Amino acid sequence: MDPTQAPGVYEGAANVIAAVMLLLEFGLLRQALARDQIRLYQAQSALISVLAIVIAADRNLPDLYVLAALSAALKVVAVPLVMRRLLGRTDPIEGEEAPGVAGSQTLSPASAVLAGIVLAAIGFFCFGALKIHGPAAPALALALAAAMVLVSFGLMIVRRDVASQAIGFFTLENAISLAALVVASGLPLILETAFLFDLLVAVVVFGMLIRAAHGRSESLSTADLTRLRG
Amino acid sequence: MSAALPVSVIQLLQVLTVAFGAPGVTGVIAKVEARLQGRRGPRVLQPYYDLAKLFRKEALAPEGTSWFFLAAPLIAVAAYLTIPLLIPVLTTYGLPLGYMGDILGGGFLLSLASFVVATAALETGSPYAQLGSSRAKTFSAITEPVVLFVVFTVALLTGTDLPYALAATVRSSAGQIIRPAHLLAAAALFMVILHETGRIPVETHTGTNEFGMIEEARAFEHSGPFFALLKWGSELKQLILFTILADVFLAPWGLASTQQLGAVILAIVALLAKACAVGCVVAVIDNSFAKLRLFKITEYVSAAFLIAVLGVFTLYLGGG
Repeated sequence: MDPTQAPGVYEGAANVIAAVMLLLEFGLLRQALARDQIRLYQAQSALISVLAIVIAADRNLPDLYVLAALSAALKVVAVPLVMRRLLGRTDPIEGEEAPGVAGSQTLSPASAVLAGIVLAAIGFFCFGALKIHGPAAPALALALAAAMVLVSFGLMIVRRDVASQAIGFFTLENAISLAALVVASGLPLILETAFLFDLLVAVVVFGMLIRAAHGRSESLSTADLTRLRG
Repeated sequence: MSAALPVSVIQLLQVLTVAFGAPGVTGVIAKVEARLQGRRGPRVLQPYYDLAKLFRKEALAPEGTSWFFLAAPLIAVAAYLTIPLLIPVLTTYGLPLGYMGDILGGGFLLSLASFVVATAALETGSPYAQLGSSRAKTFSAITEPVVLFVVFTVALLTGTDLPYALAATVRSSAGQIIRPAHLLAAAALFMVILHETGRIPVETHTGTNEFGMIEEARAFEHSGPFFALLKWGSELKQLILFTILADVFLAPWGLASTQQLGAVILAIVALLAKACAVGCVVAVIDNSFAKLRLFKITEYVSAAFLIAVLGVFTLYLGGG
């Protein structure tokens, strides 16, 4: 496609939302406090609901309005609430940051961002090489979703605490929802909802992981798990 | 109001608007900032009075400086006054001298001005002036890639790197405004402008906080008319950067599309209003964020770099 040609307003809006989601993913990479990470995750999840509404309006798919509402209820309200309660329980003193989250970066923020840019570039150019074009699959939003998947992997790798890794995993789910929305927005509602409830399983698993890690070593840092080697 | 102006007069008006509007925009920003802090603040015209006062004072140069120390402010202001010839300040159509340089040409002139001021500061031997110019050069070296990627985005969007072409592209359809590449490039440019004009979160604009100073420290040893020229120069730079942001990226509307006197006057008013609007946003940011520690500025710039690079990436796949 000729880059000087602008896409339509709806597609442009969808692409902007996808780009802002990717930027929020980078924000997570930089953010040092668990409660701010949860806030960024909330913002990202809210954006995916907005994207569902934009696509619903664009392609005339009333199902997606229901999906947007469900996803907002789950990802903007329920999951952050559960995460806050889990992290609140591990707080030694009320109002203090959960242990092991601040300062768990293995890279300095600027290097983490540069590494993230490289990951995003790999995602972008791999999807560019796949040459997926067509009216139903905007190549750009799909490539942004791929970049988001890789950056959220990066987030889980460069952080040493379970809480950030959990948030990284949840944003991975957001990225996959983004890809699903732009490629297969006509998917039956029941399937989309089933994907959403997969997230609940992840929340339960990570909840157990956070509590186990905290109960065993009084810390959320996975660095403490290395001495468990046999 | 139907008199048509010759293009050379309009060209001159572009320079005069920037030259005499710049202190006013600075005054408006200072006023808004003061009101946001609950102070009454200085008069909007205060920067003009400051300049008038400084121009009447005598000029002193530190011992051991060469002619370059006094020439630098003149060269800097001359460079700043050349840039309004290259960018769309008042008109949608290119004026005769408008095509003698592209965006990179304007960038070169901005760097030239900053280079001569830094060199003059080095000549003084004063530690604060040298510290300021050394920091200014260090940080402008790391913002340079951001500017380059913004230029790449413009080049990919329009096929040229002329600011007039981008403004025309943005005006052409709503789809051009909402596309991610355009918004990301504009956001990255805005972050660079906050850095270049010495605003929070990079630098405190007011007061004498020597240890955090970057741009402001460079003029410490100049006095009288030469200090006035440096002050005026930084006000010119601010208005030029705001003009590029508003007239090329964000809101290229309200520019004169004919040579009618009325349209040109309207364009002057619109430009100053847009610059004041950008200034209000800057003042709000000034009041709502803390200054970054010096070594955290790289993080700020890496965020701007990320945004600019994403802008180019989104264009690579065509849909951006």
